Formats: sequence, C-alpha cells, structure tokens
Amino acid sequence: MNQKARFSAWGLFKRGLTRSHWPRVWDHHELRDSYDVVIVGGGVHGLATAYYLARNHGITNVAVVEKSYIGSGGSGRNTAIVRSNYLTPEGSKFYDRSVELYEHLAADLNFNVMFEQRGHMTLAHSDSSLRTMRWRAEVNKLQGIDSSVIGPEEIKSLAPFLDTSDHPRYPILGALWHPPGGIVRHDAVVWGYARAAAALGVHIHQGTELTGIEVESGRVAVAQTSRGDIATSTIVNCTAGWASLVAKMAGVRLPIITRPLQAAVTEPVRQFLHPVVVSGSLHTYVSQTARGELVFGASVDPFASYSTRGSLEFATGLATHVLELMPAISKMRMLRQWAGLCDMTPDFGPIIGPTPVDGFYVDVGWGTYGFKAGPVAGESVAEMVANGRPGSLIEPFGLERFHAGTLTAEKGAAAVGH
Amino acid sequence: MSRLSERPGEVIDRTRPMDFSWNGKPYRGYAGDSIASALAASGVRVFSRSFKYHRPRGILTASFHDPNLMVQVGDEPNVRAGHRLVEEKMEVSAQNAWPSLGFDAKGVNRLLGRFLTPGFYYKTFMSPRSLWPWYQRVLARFAAGGVVGVDPQPGRYDHRYAHPDVLVAGGGPAGMAAAIDAAEAGAAVILVEEEHRLGGHLRWGDSDDLGALEELSAAVLSHPGIEVMVDSVVTGRYDHNWVAIAQRGVEGVDERLVKARVKCLVVATGTIERPYVFEGNDLPGVMLSTAVRRLINLHAVRPGERAVVLSANGPGDSAIADLEEAGVEVAEVIDARGDDTVIKASGRMGVQGVIDSRGRRHDADLLVTAVGWTTTTTLLNMAGDRPMYEPRAARYLSKSLPYDVLATGGIVGDGSTDQLVQHGTAIGREAARRASVVKFQWLTAVPTGVTRQPPDTSEIEVPPLEAERHPELFRSSTHGFVDYSEDVTSKDLFAAAAEGYDSMELAKRYTTVNMGPIQGKLEAVNAVAIHGEATGSSPLETSTTTWRPPYAPVSLGVLAGRQYEPVRYSVIQPWHERREAKPLVAGSWIRPEHYGDPVAEVTAVREAVGIIDVSPLGKIDLRGRDVPKLLEFVYVNKWSKLDVGKVRYGIMCNEDGVIFDDGVTGRLGADQYMMSSTSGGAAGVWNWLDDWLQTGFPDWDVKMTAVTDGYASINVAGPNSRELVGRLTEIDLRPEAFGYMEVRTGVVAGVPGCFLWRIGFTGELSYEIHVPSAYGLWVWERLLEKGEDLGVRAFGIEAQRIMRLEKGHFIVGQDTDGLTQGHGMGVDWAIKLDKPDFAGKPELMWQAERDDYRRLAAIQTEDPAIVPPEASQIVAGDVIKGRITSSRMSPTLGRSICLGQVDPDLAAPGSRLHIRLSDGVTVAARVLEHHAHFDPEGTRLRG
Repeated sequence: MNQKARFSAWGLFKRGLTRSHWPRVWDHHELRDSYDVVIVGGGVHGLATAYYLARNHGITNVAVVEKSYIGSGGSGRNTAIVRSNYLTPEGSKFYDRSVELYEHLAADLNFNVMFEQRGHMTLAHSDSSLRTMRWRAEVNKLQGIDSSVIGPEEIKSLAPFLDTSDHPRYPILGALWHPPGGIVRHDAVVWGYARAAAALGVHIHQGTELTGIEVESGRVAVAQTSRGDIATSTIVNCTAGWASLVAKMAGVRLPIITRPLQAAVTEPVRQFLHPVVVSGSLHTYVSQTARGELVFGASVDPFASYSTRGSLEFATGLATHVLELMPAISKMRMLRQWAGLCDMTPDFGPIIGPTPVDGFYVDVGWGTYGFKAGPVAGESVAEMVANGRPGSLIEPFGLERFHAGTLTAEKGAAAVGH
Repeated sequence: MSRLSERPGEVIDRTRPMDFSWNGKPYRGYAGDSIASALAASGVRVFSRSFKYHRPRGILTASFHDPNLMVQVGDEPNVRAGHRLVEEKMEVSAQNAWPSLGFDAKGVNRLLGRFLTPGFYYKTFMSPRSLWPWYQRVLARFAAGGVVGVDPQPGRYDHRYAHPDVLVAGGGPAGMAAAIDAAEAGAAVILVEEEHRLGGHLRWGDSDDLGALEELSAAVLSHPGIEVMVDSVVTGRYDHNWVAIAQRGVEGVDERLVKARVKCLVVATGTIERPYVFEGNDLPGVMLSTAVRRLINLHAVRPGERAVVLSANGPGDSAIADLEEAGVEVAEVIDARGDDTVIKASGRMGVQGVIDSRGRRHDADLLVTAVGWTTTTTLLNMAGDRPMYEPRAARYLSKSLPYDVLATGGIVGDGSTDQLVQHGTAIGREAARRASVVKFQWLTAVPTGVTRQPPDTSEIEVPPLEAERHPELFRSSTHGFVDYSEDVTSKDLFAAAAEGYDSMELAKRYTTVNMGPIQGKLEAVNAVAIHGEATGSSPLETSTTTWRPPYAPVSLGVLAGRQYEPVRYSVIQPWHERREAKPLVAGSWIRPEHYGDPVAEVTAVREAVGIIDVSPLGKIDLRGRDVPKLLEFVYVNKWSKLDVGKVRYGIMCNEDGVIFDDGVTGRLGADQYMMSSTSGGAAGVWNWLDDWLQTGFPDWDVKMTAVTDGYASINVAGPNSRELVGRLTEIDLRPEAFGYMEVRTGVVAGVPGCFLWRIGFTGELSYEIHVPSAYGLWVWERLLEKGEDLGVRAFGIEAQRIMRLEKGHFIVGQDTDGLTQGHGMGVDWAIKLDKPDFAGKPELMWQAERDDYRRLAAIQTEDPAIVPPEASQIVAGDVIKGRITSSRMSPTLGRSICLGQVDPDLAAPGSRLHIRLSDGVTVAARVLEHHAHFDPEGTRLRG
C-alpha cells in the first residue's frame, strides 16, 4: 500500500484540512480468464486466506469471489467475540494463535479493527459447570493462557450489573475469567483484510457467484461464476452456510448440517458492562459495544435451515435469560434481531484441508466460532495452499477424519462457550 | 413556542395539569400532552444533543419515531418524548449533553467535524499499541443513549396469547374501516394502534376529517367484535402469521406482550413523512409538516413565530393553513413541486434564517418541510413481500403478499377519506372471508355427524387505491444530515462511496446510517437515494431494503414477560425443608445436598439403612411391540432378551460414540417398560428417543410417556434395607424371590401402583421405590417411622456421591465429558459391536481398533490425607496426561479416593501418576486395579 493511502491520524488531519477523499480501499476489476487461486467466499476466512497467500507466500494472482458484498455472511452476522480459553490443548493452541494475530491485526493491516480486550467471563450456575470451568482454567494455565476461576465477589466488581444474589434457579457460583478475550469490529476485520489483500494485487469480485466447478481427471479445472468462467488449478471453499452446496459442485460430500444462530442488538445506552459475559446454562452471551449497544447471541437453533430470519421465540427466550442475569436492564429495548448460518459438523470441529478432488481445498464447518478463528484459519489455509499440504496446527481437522474415526472435537467447550 | 387557545381536535385535558421536571427544573403540562408537547408549550426548543457532533436538536416529527426526542425518564433510558404522555411528578432529563443542553462540552466535536469523517476510528488510534486501551476509554465515553441504573424499579410485564380471526395493524381511517367490516362479517378482530388514540392523520385534519374520525372511532369502540389496543405496536409478523404486539396501558402491568396466531393480518400502518436533506436540516426549528400539524391541532402548541414552508403536497399545504390559524406568520411558501427549494437553514441553537434556491434569505424561526412519504413496509417485508420503489409516487409499494396478509391505507395508495374508508371496508370483508378459509383449513377433524359448510371462495372486489404522483425530493444542492440518530450526513455517504464502500449495504455498515434507534424509518429512503447519487446508480429502483424485526424497539422486560424460570422440587421437599437440608442446584431441580452431616449419612447407609429422595431421576414409560427394538438401538448393550421382572443397566451414546446418558430400564409387563435416565439428562434422553422414533423409525409401535413427575422415587439402601422395606409391603423380598437387578410392582405403605427395583448405586443392598407422586411424602415418612429401630436416616446427594465414588461408579457428565467415547469408561463388556446397528456403533468400532483414548481409572494419592480438587490435571512435566474427575475423602476407608481419566500409557493398574494441584504443587498417586475402592466384588450389593 503506498504511503499516500496509509491510514493515520496525520492523514485524517491532512484530508480534513484539504477536504479530500481517501483513495478507494479496493478496486473493481474485470474478471480474468484465469487465476492461480480462486477463493470462494468474501468473508473473513476467504479474505484472510487471500491476504496471507499474497503476503506470506507471494501468491497474488488470486481472485476472491463473493456472491453478495464482502462480509455479508457469517462475518457480518456474528457477535464478534474473540477468546482462546478452550478446553483441549489443541483448541487452546489454535485459538491462542488467533488471539495473537488479532492483537497485532490493526498494525499489520493498517486498519483499526477495534479489538477491545475487555475480558471474557463464562458464568457457572451449578457445581458441574463450575467443575468444567476449573478444568478449562487448569488446562489453560498449563498452556500459558491467562485464565482462572473467580468467585461471585470478583464477578460483581468486574460486572456490577450481574445479579450475584442468592438465586434459586441460576445462581452465579463462579466464573471462568479470561482477560485477553474481548470483542472486535467484525466489519473492520473484513475490510482490513480486503484492503490489505487488494493492495497486494488480489482481485476481490463482489456480486460474483460461483455457479459450478469443472473437474477434469480428478483435478480442479474451471470455476464457473455468474460473471464468466475462470480457468484455475486451485479453488478454496471458504464459505459458511453454503459450504456443503459449494463442495457438491466439485462432487465432494461434506458431513455438514446448516443451522441458524440468532442474535440481537439493543438501543445504545451509556457504558455499564465492560467484559463479555457468557452463560452456557442460559445459552446467552452479552457484550456492550463501544457505541453502547448490547449485543446478544444464543446457541444454534435446534433445526436445520437456511433461513436468516429472526424468530419471536428467540427474542422472548433471550430476554428471559438476559434478565435472569441482569434484571436491572428490563427497560432497555431490543432494536434488531437477525440470524446467521452455522455449518455444524458431527464433532463440532472445522473441516480444513485437501479433498479427494486435487486442487479443491476446504476451510469450512466452522459452526458457531468461525469468526474468532478467521485470522489463524486464513494463515493456515494459505500455508496449506502454498505448500500443498496442511501444517501441524490444522492437521487434526482434515476431512478424512470422518472416515477414519479420529474425531477431534471441541464439543465440550465450543458448543456453548462463545 | 407557546400554548394556543382551545383547538377543535386537541387531545389535552386543560382541567388536569401535570407537574413534572425537565433537567431538574419544574414544568407543567396537561393530561394528554406528550413530554415533547408539554415542553414545547413552555418554550423548550432544544431536546437533545446529537450522538457524534453534539449538535443541538429539537422536534422533528413529534411522534414516536422522532430521533431527536430521546430522553431519560427516571430510570428508563431512550424514552420517546414525542410519544410518551407526560405524567405527574415525572422526572425527565436530556440525554447525551454535559454539562447542559445549552452548553455541551462535547460540542467541540462540531469544530472537528471535518476530521471525523466516516470510519475515522478505523484509520487511527493504531499506534502506539500501548495507547489503544486509553483510546477505547475515550471512545466509550461518546456512546450515545440514556443511563440504566444498577437497581432500577423493576418493571411489571406479562404475556398473553390471542387467537383473533383478523388483526389490523394501524388505526387510521382505512384500518378502522377494515376492522369494522371484518367484525361486521363475523370475524373476531383486534385493532392495534401505535398512538394513544385512533384516527391516524384524521386527528390533525380539518372539521370534515374530525367528523369522519368521530364516526369511525365510535363505530370501532362500540363494536363487540373488535378489541382495540392503543399505545400498542405490532412489533413483528413471524412465520405462519405469528404476530407480536407490545401493548401498553394495560391495568396492573407496564407492558404486555400479546402473541397472536392470526388467521388474516391486515397491515394498515400508513406512511411516515420523510425529512429533506440540506445544510442545517437538523437545526431546532426545522420540522416536518406532520410535526407542525400535530403540535398545533393535537396539543395546541404554536411551533414558532415566523415560518418558511417548503411544500410538495396537499398535506403540506394544509400545514400552511394550520400555521396561519395558529397565529404563526408564514413568511414564505416555497413550492417544491416547481424548481424552487431550500438551500440552507442557518442559526446556532435553532433556525434563524432560511436561504432558498433563488438566493433569498428569509428571517424565520421555523422551517416546515413537506417533501414526501415513506411507506412503513416492515410487516410486509416480514411477510415475504419485496416492496418495489415507484418513482412516480416517490415511495415503495407492496408487490406481493401471502394469502393471509392484506394491506390497506397509505401503504397501498392515496385518496380522500371516503376512498380510504371504501378500500379499508373491502379489505376488512376480504380479511374476514380469508380468515374463515384459513380456519376451515386448520380444522383437521370434525365431530361425527357434523357437516361443515366450506367457506366462500369468491374474492371480494377491492376498489383501487392509487398512489398519487409525487416529486422525488431527497436532497437539495447542499449537504445535510441523513441519519439524525447516528449523525450521518449526505457528505459521509459520498465519502464512503468514494472510498470504495459502494454498495448500499457496505455504505450502511461503514457510515452506520440506518443503524440507530429509528431503524431507518425516516432516513432509509434518503440514504438509498443519496448513495445512488454518490455512485451514479439508481439503487432505489433496484433495491429492496430488508427491514428486520422488531418494527419498533421493544423492551427486554416485555419480551421476557413475568420472570418465570421454573424451579422443580420433589414432592418430599416439605420434609427436606423442615430438616434444613442444604439446597443443591441440579439442572432445574433443587435437591438436598445433605442434612448437616454427610459423613454420618454415609456411615448410616454402610452400617444400617438410609433413604434418599431420587425423584428427579428421569422416568419414561415405554409401551408397545417395538420397545425392545428401540432399546436395542439407543443403548450400546443387548436388550432383546429382557424377561418380565428384570432390570438392566444401559449406556447411551450419541452418533459420535460419546456417552451421553446412562440408567436402568425394567420390563414391567409383556409390552411395558420403564426407562430411567440421569436427572440432568431426562429431557435430552426424551428428545433423543423422540427424534429417532419420528425421523428414523416412524413405523415402530412405541408409545412414550414422560413420567418423571408422576412418581416420587426413594432409594432405600443399606444392610437393613430389606427389613425396612419388608415392613411396608407384601411383595416377597427374599433374595431368591426378588433378586438383584429385578423389578416388582405392588403396594407399598398402602399405596398401590408402586414399582420397586433392586439396584445399587451406593454399593449396598438397596431397593428403589417409585411411588405415585401424590403419596411420595407419605411413603417417605412411613419409611422413617418404621425404620427408627433399624437406624434409618435420610441421606443427601453428597453422601450418595461419596458412596458411588467408593464403589467406582462414574457419573455421566462428571467423569465423562464431551469427548468420552464408550470404551474409555471401562465398560467394554456392555458395548456389543456385534449388534446389527445402534446409535454410535461406527464410531465405537473405530474406537475399539485404536488404543489412543483416555481411560477411566480409580486413583489414590500416596498421601492419603490429600484430596486433589476435581479438575486437577495429571501431568508429566508440562504435558497433560489426564485429570481427576471425582475426588472425596472416603469416610468408609478413611483416606482420599479419586476417579480420573488418564492417558492409555498410564492406565495400567499400579501406574504412578503426578497430579498438579491448583497451587502448582505436584503430588504422587497410583492407579488401582478396579474402579471400586470399596467392596470390588459387590458382595454387599447382592446379599
């Protein structure tokens, strides 16, 4: 990116004085006849993959094809929580790298992704969940991850609005406290990667839908799109919600069930909730954005669907659960509700790796936690595409595990702990 | 601004003054005044400061959807002052201003405006990284909105279900007419109106309008078939016409959520007047024509002294007449139907002058704009409609609706009151007819001998309601505010497009236009039009905006309703309470953890006899020919040859082979079985069985009934248990008549319909008695009474946990986790891989071929006094080799005992382990030969 286009306070000041516009963050391009790599899906995974391909491996003849606008899928619909206090050593290691990347992302991309490490608190309402919290804390400590179990008093001092009084049903007995966790501006992550990738020569094609994949003697040959065919030897499926449909175009069957996950946001109020608060038993997570809105999420809906509409049941259930945690906010108003699509695999682990079709890679099945893994997934997938084989961090997540019985699974922690 | 003499349509009651405070100072209004109208009548002009630039803001729409009238009322943030009625002693204050509305320190941002371009925060605050937390704190201070207190007055909320034939959203002339005629046709109707009174725009109209209003509202209010809800809003239309209404003004509660399954929904939500974008368009004193007409005609408030009016339509022209009548000098009328327009409004804390497109400056303190209407299509969008922009009328119009949704009124077109009423009337009749069709379709069964008349299938003819021609007016030649709540200007939209955020969705996310509390109702159309201007496209014609629920922001309190998270107690709870049992939360159940001395409770069971209330155990009554097939499928072990009177232990695995529940199932009769599950797993097991029966095996003859609450369950355990139970029942308890793992039915303590099974979680001889729940407490007390001489004692969960740990029985969810597949628990004997199929079989077959999974092991520390806390990690150096899943001090053995999961290389009996305690100290321990620390042969149990 040339110096003129670099974002800085000085640049803002100069352009303010001269009232001139910033240059475009990414350009429109004609679709080339061929690309070295075609990435399907302009979300954080696809764009991060494109960026790391260009930056780390010098592969710049890359197209990202996105059927709508960038960040229109899961990347723009999640609740933007980042953390690394996972239950298994493999999971912790993977997400710890993601947190590390997030911490340096603003400087790396020259785009402030507003990563606010407000701390991440997972509440325990029962003996058994307290035991799980202790387990996670012990595993995390051994991995060098900042994570500990705290009691109601400390919880109250970190989040005074939580009702730590003696509840009959959902008493707050303790919490897993993870200071490096926090929230990030999800759109900024998408745009930051897009801008940085575009500056390195990657073509971002919005409004360009993949319609088919031509496979010739077991190898990827052509990516067919709504704007024309692209000859390519490498296609990376970085979609969510439609991952199994895209894979089917290459004749690859993925063990994925797509389920909606609903979320909602309130009107803004002055800041009162600093950390991210999660309650597994109440299937709820809450954070307050810098703008003052509360962002709520839940667990996935218990049925398969491609619908991104919100339901009344979700809204009422969510409100009940949130008020159970913070009865003082009953007069706040819900402003918007929506749903995103989650591709669930049998073991809740993602599927990253090559497929039986040469040159067709997948980075899919991210369930409910794809956003927080975006940077590290992009980095690892780029490395895999460049080297032709997966690196050690993502090795356990290959597609073949479903045929070999070596499930990885983060089910315990990933299922509800966001 | 000041109060006028009486107006014909005014809604204020001048005999009932209301004293309230605004920013700590006393003010007076009248009953019927909105907060805004009461303040405006007292001369208040500035109501808020804007979010980003802290610009002074005044009345814009004077309605619920006024972005500038968000105030704090007591402990309630973001109250719509244009809508909420003023009340006696109400404490109202401005949001977003410090130290005062008149002088706001953050107003300095106005001067910085040129540097605070859209997304400025994405471009700075990046280095040095160490300063970022400080920037965060500064940015957080600029969050908009009101304040929530830690301990506010709790609101009172409720839910109600309704099943109307027809629900009409919107109580304007068309909506009222639809309601009347639907009710006349026999439909049960609910009419919902967002404002405090019916009438829509008729309320601020002329004498003809007021006459029509009188007539229509009298007909509505007196009709027995219509339930009217005012000050209520339809917040959403969900799938299958599931409609949510947030209702206010119900006695006894602050708000109520009405959930209505509607047979036919009539959307008559009308239009909202659209602001105009030009320089200074957000100054206090720039108002929409509807705001001015509301203030004058409903609240008798003179909105200014000297006005300029920009009008492009008839209602705008009517505002001129209203202004003149209210004694406002109309300095200039600019007819926007021609080439003239407004270029700029100037002033500091409010409008002082207006410059028109001919370059003339007019002194004025009021600028009224009437430049067009936005249809409120949210409910239509939610019904699957994709309203299309109609350039001729400069607004979106409905395109296609499902059968059970109809639209009438301004959302469809324009017309005289008569035309609107005629349209509404026809839609009302059609709605009633369609409701009857839907009702007929819903009735799947009719009593024998009753013949039902099929409903009339001929559609009622609806007269046309054309949308009038209207000029497209979005922005003047200058830049101004598009989104007032988010402080987004047209210049920002141009900047976003130039930077590459050139689709509307990206521009929206980048500039945050439409994202504020007004939800785009005022600004969305302008934003799309101006974005089109900036990108040289015509997105209005091609785009359809997605309106997401809710239609209007809705309180969390009313969504939740009464806080009702049910807590479950056993029927024996009164006894537990009398004995001051320590409560333990176990899922939705509250259970006795112990009665003061768990160690003594253990000793009583081991040496004499104890009873424990295990009522929360999941119990499912299974009947039918194919129950054995179901058991064979959901359990990993064999079930085909379970004789009547026998009980068997079973383990259930998910499809991934992970253990998710265990329990015993007994065969009570030829085709009758009773399945038990863990307490916490009861609902999950039920869902699991139901799922398989519905999706996998719909042909199987299996009937399931959940009877967890139907039986109280009491486990009688200990060497004296046979003697004790024998004193209460005629059932033959001799070991040869009622062996281990058998079930009997019969009478216990005079209570018929009980069943007993002989199993033993504690490791002692024990009988689990399941009693019809009404008699649970009775049987419990009889056991204690009859067993007094046998040393009977009640024991709680803690004692049970200690004893099961002594016996090495695992608890699913504690000693297993989300990764624990069947073979890891040392129950290989139970997993029958030679069965043709069962849930989890492929995964368990894979597991059986491997040797890399953790095993459950009984573990004892070398120092018998150290009890490693549960979740302590078993380590080799820094490498995790397993963990302690259960640990206790055993009163029976007088030493610490554990269960744990360990890596295979450490699972062999005698292996030496290192357990890392939470303080970092490591202690040594050994793996035992059996899971049981105590009586591994089970002689006590089988005795």
